Amino acid sequence: MDDLADRYADRGVTSVFIYTREAHPAENYRHHRSMDDKRRNARAMVAHTGLRRRVLLDDLSGTAHHGYNLLPNMSWIVGRNIVLYKAAWTEVHDIENALRQSLDGMDRRQTDGLRPLYTERVAWRPNVADEFRKGLERNGPQAVEDFYK
Amino acid sequence: MTTDDYNYAVFDMAKEEPVFAEFSKSVSAGGRAPSFPLEDLATGEQVELRSLWKHGLAILEFGSFT
Repeated sequence: MDDLADRYADRGVTSVFIYTREAHPAENYRHHRSMDDKRRNARAMVAHTGLRRRVLLDDLSGTAHHGYNLLPNMSWIVGRNIVLYKAAWTEVHDIENALRQSLDGMDRRQTDGLRPLYTERVAWRPNVADEFRKGLERNGPQAVEDFYK
Repeated sequence: MTTDDYNYAVFDMAKEEPVFAEFSKSVSAGGRAPSFPLEDLATGEQVELRSLWKHGLAILEFGSFT
């Protein structure tokens, strides 16, 4: 996602990571009881992953997370105050496909008089079960137990 | 949902599944994108979400370390 952000930055695309509640809290990375907890975990994530995008923290109540319907790793594309794309999971190839369509459509709206069209579809993503389990193990034994019980 | 309920200490799949089921009923593509104040992790400054798409498109990825 960082590489995607870099590729489209010169086309006026802003890409951010909005930090929510911990999806799988455990011994090493606990649920947030304060904004300091949230900041600490977010900084740990940046340090571990090398994430380069801007990180924005939602408030402790998850107000923005609620407003965008609470899924643990969703992605959205917004332009002109309108939702152009929403996905239940973050899959970079699907996001880039949607982004290119949005940019092309908005350009051709000016030149060719195109109008927006509402669609729905099912997309596909890789099975990352092994990587996911390693993530849970990193969080702590409780995360593994909670997910697989 | 209280703040404590939101920031659960124990993941419960039974509570997660209905959230996925409701996602398609949330703000739709073509609908107005809500805006909320957020805190920039690097600077501590408050950022209004709508400022991100003021001059172009914005990609919003929601997530956490865990």
